[in-house]
Amino acid sequence: MHTCPRCDSNETQILCESPVKGCWVMYACPVCTFTWRSTEPETITNPEMYNPRFKVNPSEMGKYQIHPAIAQRRS
Amino acid sequence: MAFKDLRSFLEKLETEGQLLRVTQRVNPEPDLGSAARAVNNLGDQAPALLFNNIHGYNNGRVALNVHGSWPNHALMMGLPKDTSVKEQFLEFARRWNNYPVPVERVDTAPFHANQVTENINLFDILPLFRLNREDSACFIDKACVISRDPDDPENFGKQNVGIYRIQVKGKDRLAIQPIPTHDIGIHLRKAEERGENLPVTIAIGNEPVITTIAGSPLTYEQSEYEMAGAIQGEPYKIVQSKHSNLDIPWGAEVVIEGEIIGGYREFEGPFGEFTGSYSDARHQPVIQVNAIYYRDNPIFEHLYLGMSPTEMDFITSINTCVPLYHQLKEAFPEVEAVNANFVQGLAAIISTKTRFGGFAKAVGMRAMTTPHGLGYCKLVILVDDFVDPFNLPQVMWALSTRVAPDKDLVVIPNASVLSLDPSSDPPGITHKLIIDATTPKSPEVRGEIFAPTVEPPRDTEKWETILKQLMNK
Ligand SMILES: [Zn+2]
Repeated sequence: MHTCPRCDSNETQILCESPVKGCWVMYACPVCTFTWRSTEPETITNPEMYNPRFKVNPSEMGKYQIHPAIAQRRS
Repeated sequence: MAFKDLRSFLEKLETEGQLLRVTQRVNPEPDLGSAARAVNNLGDQAPALLFNNIHGYNNGRVALNVHGSWPNHALMMGLPKDTSVKEQFLEFARRWNNYPVPVERVDTAPFHANQVTENINLFDILPLFRLNREDSACFIDKACVISRDPDDPENFGKQNVGIYRIQVKGKDRLAIQPIPTHDIGIHLRKAEERGENLPVTIAIGNEPVITTIAGSPLTYEQSEYEMAGAIQGEPYKIVQSKHSNLDIPWGAEVVIEGEIIGGYREFEGPFGEFTGSYSDARHQPVIQVNAIYYRDNPIFEHLYLGMSPTEMDFITSINTCVPLYHQLKEAFPEVEAVNANFVQGLAAIISTKTRFGGFAKAVGMRAMTTPHGLGYCKLVILVDDFVDPFNLPQVMWALSTRVAPDKDLVVIPNASVLSLDPSSDPPGITHKLIIDATTPKSPEVRGEIFAPTVEPPRDTEKWETILKQLMNK
């Protein structure tokens, strides 16, 4: 199975295949919601080569802002 | 004259030499994003692009840069393609005052031809692609997103048509970025207060006017459809959704029906934004897709975002200038024209007559206190009425020869700006700057002694016409 290039999770799934069979496969990471295509450059598909500035650490997801804030239900 | 759909506008562009068909096979990445960036680098007369041979698709079609040049913008308005930017601005401002033009409702639309409600897969219908390298996914960034006010669902004016970035997360799952102050942000807040989901319809591939109006700063109760009617000069044609009370542009290529899940946020982004910088990842709302409708061989219309110039400089250009112009003119009828074409008006140039010394500085401050100016107008340059604010060499002349840095700069500390401005610190707060590049006037002391401006010789305009005629022979 593929490792997520962005957050290195091993839970990645096949999202879909090309409408014309055999051209490419899209993958999705349920942890960080990153998606990528098998035909993209290695700087996208290879976890080792993914831009370190844009890597995501699954244990730090709480540090990202909630936007917009969830509104309180009226009572 | 109105265009009924994207296809008829593309035909018009082709007739006028403003459409380039790309028939060679391209990869979704990095070809389509690269081509979209490249066409923006070709200048402000560039054509739209239409791709019809995309790897992995049988009949996939992608249109890029449809609005992305001044000839295309003029053709959208039914004007000759060589209409000057200032003339396009003045004509747009004139039509804006025809608001509201009531809509035309019809029962069926071409997008009813194909319907999917089970086993939905967006990737089968749309040739989705990653635009910029660090984008977290494929995005839909030029679609009209339609929603209604859950507390006032029958109010047609409060129905909103806006353009928001949409991340494609799965076959039938999207993410959206509703800014709290934007109309859809208000709709979502009300839905969440009620403990409900918010129904939304996403219309992709429209005739160009509704997309332009969806990117305009209208007031909360103004109808985008009634404004689109004013700009195109005839009633706007809409059809009601089969699943909700949302109204859809008749000519749409692809229509996605769904709902924003209330009270839920999920990881989204980053995405290369119109500021030319990436915005950070955040936890944002999710859309569950329930149905898709589409025309035969639908066209996926998309938009490049990044450092200017991009198509954004046309799609949020004159439609941003015009409301600012009308609001300024209410206070100061002396205002001649407004060029807020730069990054949605983060920088703006205003040409105005001046009544007395210091007058232009007041006009600059008014621009910053308009509803749009609260989030934009970080830099406001004032020039004389005889300077065309769309003619940047003229503006540079005014800056070069009229500005005394010790007298003509006004800094307003800690003002408000949209948080996406990468230079704001903290996000949403910035100093703002007025540069008065008008000719000084009394009672300013400089006004008495300022070297007189060289006026054009008497028959200059006449000779412009003669020379143009000679050149066209
Ligand atoms: Zn991941």
